[in-house]
Order: sequence, then C-alpha cells, then structure tokens
Amino acid sequence: MEFLERFAVPNPSLAIYASMVAIGLTLIAIIAGLTYFKKWGYLWREWLTTVDHKRIGIMYLISALIMLFRGGVDAIMMRAQLAVPDNKLLDAQHYNEIFTTHGVIMLIFMAMPFIFAFMNFLVPLQIGARDVAFPRLNALSFWLFFFGAMLFNISFVVGGSPDAGWTSYFPLAGNEFSPSVGTNYYMIAIQISGLGSLMTGINMITTILKMRAPGMTLMKMPMFTWATLVTNLIIVTVFPVLTVALVMGTMDRLFGTNFFSSTNGGMDMLWANLFWVWGHPEVYILILPAFGLYSEIISTFAGRNLYGYKSMVASMVIISGLSCVVWAHHFFTMGQGALANSFFSITTMMISVPTGVKIFNWLFTMWRGKIRFTVPMLYSIGFIPLFVLGGVTGVMLAMSAADYQYHNTMFLVAHFHNTIIPGVVFAMLAGLTFYWPKMFGFMLNERIGKWTFWLLTVGFCLAFLPMYVTGLDGQARRMYTYSAAAGFSTLNMVSFVGAMIMAVGFVLIVYNVYHSVRYAPRNIGADPWDARSLEWATHTPVPEYNFAVQPHVASSQAFWDAKKNGHVLFPGKVEKIHMPNNSGVPFIMSAIFFVWGFSMIFSLWIPAIISTIAIFACMAHRSFEKDHGRYISVAEIEETETKLRGAN
Amino acid sequence: MKIDHSLPLEYSTKQNGLNIFGFWVFLAAEIMLFATLFTSYFTLEHRVGGGPSGTEIFEITPVLMETLILLTSSFTIGLGVHAMRIGNKKAMTAFFVITLLLGLGFLGLEIDEFITYIHEGATLQTSAFTAILMLTLGTHGAHVTFGLFWGSAILMQLKKRGLTKETANKSFIFSLYWHFLDVVWIFIFSFIYLKGMM
Amino acid sequence: MSELFPRKQIMGFVFSLVLTAAALAVYFLDLTFAQGITVLLITAFVQALLQLVVFMHAGETEDKWIIYGKVYFMIGIALVTIFGTLLIFLWDM
Repeated sequence: MEFLERFAVPNPSLAIYASMVAIGLTLIAIIAGLTYFKKWGYLWREWLTTVDHKRIGIMYLISALIMLFRGGVDAIMMRAQLAVPDNKLLDAQHYNEIFTTHGVIMLIFMAMPFIFAFMNFLVPLQIGARDVAFPRLNALSFWLFFFGAMLFNISFVVGGSPDAGWTSYFPLAGNEFSPSVGTNYYMIAIQISGLGSLMTGINMITTILKMRAPGMTLMKMPMFTWATLVTNLIIVTVFPVLTVALVMGTMDRLFGTNFFSSTNGGMDMLWANLFWVWGHPEVYILILPAFGLYSEIISTFAGRNLYGYKSMVASMVIISGLSCVVWAHHFFTMGQGALANSFFSITTMMISVPTGVKIFNWLFTMWRGKIRFTVPMLYSIGFIPLFVLGGVTGVMLAMSAADYQYHNTMFLVAHFHNTIIPGVVFAMLAGLTFYWPKMFGFMLNERIGKWTFWLLTVGFCLAFLPMYVTGLDGQARRMYTYSAAAGFSTLNMVSFVGAMIMAVGFVLIVYNVYHSVRYAPRNIGADPWDARSLEWATHTPVPEYNFAVQPHVASSQAFWDAKKNGHVLFPGKVEKIHMPNNSGVPFIMSAIFFVWGFSMIFSLWIPAIISTIAIFACMAHRSFEKDHGRYISVAEIEETETKLRGAN
Repeated sequence: MKIDHSLPLEYSTKQNGLNIFGFWVFLAAEIMLFATLFTSYFTLEHRVGGGPSGTEIFEITPVLMETLILLTSSFTIGLGVHAMRIGNKKAMTAFFVITLLLGLGFLGLEIDEFITYIHEGATLQTSAFTAILMLTLGTHGAHVTFGLFWGSAILMQLKKRGLTKETANKSFIFSLYWHFLDVVWIFIFSFIYLKGMM
Repeated sequence: MSELFPRKQIMGFVFSLVLTAAALAVYFLDLTFAQGITVLLITAFVQALLQLVVFMHAGETEDKWIIYGKVYFMIGIALVTIFGTLLIFLWDM
C-alpha cells in the first residue's frame, strides 16, 4: 500500500474524481470501439507506424485540437472563479494547478503541435518535395510530443498537477515549496516533447534548405515556408537551452543538487534567466508561422501578390535574431541594474519595427485588392487591429521603468493573450479553415465559420480588454480571489461573460466539423479557394507521393503564374518514385520514453534504468537496420493519377 | 537512387547528403547546449557555499593528459576519414579502433577525476559550483560514452558490410561528432580548468 | 602519391598541440586576469576553427556558406546568451 500511496492525488476534489472516471470510461470506450470495429490493424498500419508527413501533420492537428479544449476548460474555470469576489468555487491550491496547466498546455501542447501540424502538412507540398528530409525522425518527433503531452495530462489524476506556474520559478518550484510530484511532471514531460521539437527543427531546416523543387530559389519560396525556416532556426537555437534548464531543475528536485536552491550557493534567479532565454524566442516560434499563414491567406483572398516580399523575409530574419537578445524584459524587477535593463528595454522596443513593417505589408497587399470575405480572411482582417493593440501594450511593457507598475498584474495577462489569441489562435483557425479542404477533401461550413469568428472576436474583446484596466488598478495575476472592496468585480464579471462567449465559439468549431462531415459537398476540386502556391497544384486528397512529376518553379506564386500566366509547372514525365518505409520503432521508442518519464517522476529507479536501456536498444536497432525504402512504379502512379483526376 | 561519382562515397546519394547536412544542424544545436552549460557555469562558478572552489580541486596533470588524449583521438579519426577517402578500409578500421580506445582512456581518466573530487568533499550536492561543474563535465563525458557505443556499432557494420555508401556516410558523420566533442573539450579545458587555476 | 599522405591532418594536429601549449602559459606564467583571458580566448577559438576547417571539412561542399553561416549564427547567439547573463548577474547586479 505504501508503494501505491505515492500515486494518489495530494489535493483531491470532486472534479478530479469525476475526471478519473471520465478518463477511465473514455479509454475503455476507445479500446472496445477499436476491437469491435476491428480497427487495431488499420490504426497500427496506417497511422501509428506512418512516416507520411501529411498524416503526421493531421495527427498533430487532432492532438492540438484536443489539447485546445483541455486548456480551454482550465481557462473557463479560472474565469468562473474570478467572476465574483471572494468566490469559493476553487481553493487556492486548485487555482494554482489550473493556471499552471492552462499555460503549459496551451503553449507547449496546443500551440506548438498546431504550428507543427501546418509545417508538416504544408512545407513539403509548398516546396514540391516527396516528404521531409528524415521521415522517420519526423514520426519520432510526433510521438515524443504525443507521449510528452499524455504524460503531462495524467498528472491531473496520478500524483497531482504542477502548481508553480507555467514558468515554474524556483525556489517555489523546488522541493521545499512544491513537495508533490507535480513539478516533476512539468520538468520531464516538457523535456520529452521538447526533444521532439528539436528534432522537428533539424528536420525542417534540412528539408527546406536541401529539398526544394528545381527553380525555387530561397527568394521564390512561399511565405509560409520562409516563416517555417526562420521559426525552426529559432527552435534549434533555443530548445537546447530549455533542455539544460530542465535537466538542472530535474536534478534539483530528484537528486538534491543546488542549482536553483537558496542554500549552498544556489541561484534561483538563474532558472528565470535560462527559462526566458528559451521562453522569449518561444513566443516568436509561435507567432512567425502564424505570420506565414496570414501572408498566404491575405494574398490569396486579396487576389494580389504579397506586397514587399523581400521586406517580409528581412523582417522575419531580423525578428529571429532580435528575439534571442530580449529575454530579460520578463524580469525587469528582479534586481539587475539600470544598464542591463536599458539594454534589454531597447532591444525589445526594436522588435516592434520589423513587426510593424509586416503589418503595413499586409495592409498594402489588401490595398486595392478585390477582397473576398471568406472565413480565413475574416480572421486575418480581425487579427490586424487586435494584434496592433497587443503590440502597443507590449511596447508599454518594454519600458523597464514603467514595467515596475505593470509587472505581475492582469495588465500583462491581457497583453500576452492579446498577442497570442488574435496572433496565433486566429491564425491557426484561419489556417484550419483554409487548408481543411486540402487535408480532408471538403470545405468547412462558411456560415457557421463566420458565426464562430464573430463570437470569438467579441468574446475575446470582452474577456481580455477589461484586464488592462483591472491590471492598471492593481489586480495581481495568479491570485485566486479578491475582495469586493477592491472594485474589480464588474470588470471580472465582464471577462467571465467574454470567456463564455469564446467557449461557445470553440464549441461551434466542433459542430462545424460535424456538420461539414455530414453535409458538405465532396466535389470541390483541388483548388477551391483559387489560391497561389504549390500545395494547391496537386490533387485532393493528396496522393502519398505528393506530386506525380516534380514541379519546376519560376516565381514565388508558382501555381498562380501557372494558372494565369502560362508557366509550365510539370515539364517532366512520370518516373518511379522512391518512398520511405513505415516503421513502428518511433511509436515504440516514444512509448518507452513515456515509461521512462513516469518512472523518473516517481523516482522508480529500476524501471527508469530498464527503460533507458530500452531506448538505447531502439537506437541501436535503427543503426543496424537495413532500410532502403521502396519504389512506387510508374504504372501505380498513373493508376492513382487517373483515379484522382476522375474524382475531381 | 541517384549516385554521383564525382563526390566522396559518404556524399554519394541524395539521402547521404541530407544526413550530413542535418547532422551539421544538430551540431549547431549542440553549440547552444554547451553554451547554456557554460553560461550557468560562469554564473555559478564562485558560488561555492561551504564547499571547495575550483582552484582547490583542479589538478593540472590529469587534465592535461585528458586534453592530449582527446586531441590525439581527434587526429586519429581525422586520419581514419582520410584513409576512408582513399579507399583503404584496413587503415580506416585501425584508426577508428585507436580513436575509440583513446576515447575509453579519456573516459577512464575522467571517472577517476570525479572519484577524486568526491573524496575531496566535492560531491554533486555540495554546492552550486560543484553541481554545475559535474553537470558540464558529465554532459561532455556522456557524449563521449555515447560516442563509444555508436562508434563500436559503426565498426561492426563496417566489418560485416564493408565500406559502402551507408557505412561511409555513418563513419563520416561519426567523425564530425567526435571532432565536435574535441572542440567542446578545448573550451572546457580553457575556460573551466585553466581559467580556474589561473 | 601526395594525396595519399595526410599532410593537412598532421599540420592540424601539430597546430593544436602548439595552441594547447600556448594556452598553458596562463598556468605556468604569472599573467594578469585580462592577459590570461585574452590568451585563452585566442587559443580556444583558433583551435576550434582549426578543427572545423581541417578535420570537419566544413567548407568542402556546396553548402559551405549555409554551414558556416549556421555555425557562426549559433556562436553569435551563444556569446550573446553568455555575456547577457553575465551582464545581468555579475556585472550589473
């Protein structure tokens, strides 16, 4: 019994017991369903072992959507708790756990896989490649992310959630103040999925730099591919920093070292420093692909070439460099001197210049365009004013002297949600609507989509704009309640109403998917939006080899120029195509990582050692394996092509 | 699979070229990994709590020996790649074996060094300084250990399958890894040991 | 026959040994901190560059500039991270 006690949740409540039951029932339902419909083989052959970038992209997408709702429920609970003063809905401990998991899940297990979904699905198509450079590594990246996410999520019912904030600052995150295993979950689960992100970074950089279609020079790449390249450059630069910081944090918690302790020379502030060396570039890792998607969408629906292509590229490259030299603006109040603060203050403000350039480029792209107000375009148009508002408050926060007033208040919370929701979330939903037909072969319902957009926009403004006011009035973030005398009551109630409206919007997305699966017409062709880049030049659904003939590219709007200006996109004839083999090893290896992580979290050393050895055994297996891939014959390709042409 | 005979064997297929390029990107990430360790080391260097400082525990002789061994191993694997490029499999195998043996020697000395530190009262838990020292050295040492297993796997494949496009590619990538570890050690030698003993 | 003899590698090795010996000056000679750190910075970075060019063949393919660009970018960010952190914690706190 003593052995089992460690797995108990330290602060149980009715909600947690209910989730335990719900998780158990869901698992049983999934297993029973798969068995009843005899889908185990299908699942294993077509999905769990796949190395196809498109399927991996779709799996990222599904995981991201599930995590969006998991994080969204946390958000609703927080807003509900703060809706009225002196609320007893949640106690302080549960509130801490909820804002911690909300942050981690939304950033690392929702936004990251969402952008990886688009990168995986789109980049090889946009550059005219068969797959990514290392398809099996790609599968490993996904499964590491997936099992990392699962590991983090079971913390809720096994052993207790982390409760030290998504930044997990020491000494609060140390053993002394966070004795439960929650923070171990944080350290290890993020570590595992972070390894996956690093591998994706290496994979994408190699793919984009080495596998572009003939004629596609760097300055002829679609803007989303450019954004992906720059983003992955940042990923490869900063994820190792997170790796080291998490290792140090893990060692402090599990092995009693003194990196971030308050005794024996330890320095808690070093964690904050290392965390933000990764953490600040991380927000650009999220926003740059979003910018890429907006660029694609705005130029498509304005019916014009992207304005200022070169300045778009230049500003992204400058942002990537600057993003790595601003990290200290997250802790202006920590105690460093005026010189350091001034330096980081100035670099922070400098970032707004290239970002401003991009905003003007989008506006000029729309200028005199024939704008079609589709759902993706609505998100893009809504994004511009709302994101500018978030950017302006960011410049306010960048002034280190003024930051002493804003620091740790709701003003900051309003600011970063104001950049992330219109910036990243709107972009993801716009991209989802835009690329849905390419992924699944039918469009999402336009009318429901527009309702969703308006609900989210209105809900967002109601939920977050009041926080600027309460923040300036002194409402601190991460406080689980406040007294009526503080005067925050009305605005917090408005926030709660806004959050509920957003929740309705997100539920509508699910309804939209259901509705469109049932009623949407399937004969939409390969190019339903009259779009501009290569991913629309192949069939829908995309065949596993992407393009029967390798495309030749002569401009940054290759497909548009092929349609309107008579460029020849596919000059060659069909040849046999080399494809990678499926493999179960990435899945198995990641599952072992899950066991390893779980054992580390609970300090179960024997399974930890065994799973470590098993991980290395998987790597050795890969080294000794002879895997030369397979060929798809010309006859097979032509058969597929005829079938797909008939379908369109 | 297209084979380009104008390039060395390890670059000869498209996938081989991708592998080498991708490994360079990985090494770039490793630069940041060790840079973070150095950042933390420089920050925590003088925070010794009640424990010993660097000046008190560093000794020049074992450190110098480790340096020379690793430098030599970087040289011998360079010779190994040279032998591979002129198609001399026997010399190549010999140089790779020597490299791995030198790596093993390095590891032995490093383990001895750790044991000495622990006997002198500088354990992982003693202070922030000892923790970051051991983490930095340990990360490098773990890389060397991993390299020993990896190199042995490549040697086995070389013996069984001969010098093919795949084995040549793997050997070249391994040599990049090994040289990189030597570069990291140069910085450890200069900015941890020599700076600490200055 | 000249191609068969690994002249480049041997030169590289000799240079590495010389640079290591030069770095030892900070241990055996009585230098100030500034002098010592200058010597170490020079010997370490020159030696790293030597490994990169001579042994790792960084410049032998068409991707030369991408590889060098990437490595220098990383070194740049690495130095910014190190010196930025030192500025925060040691020189200005």
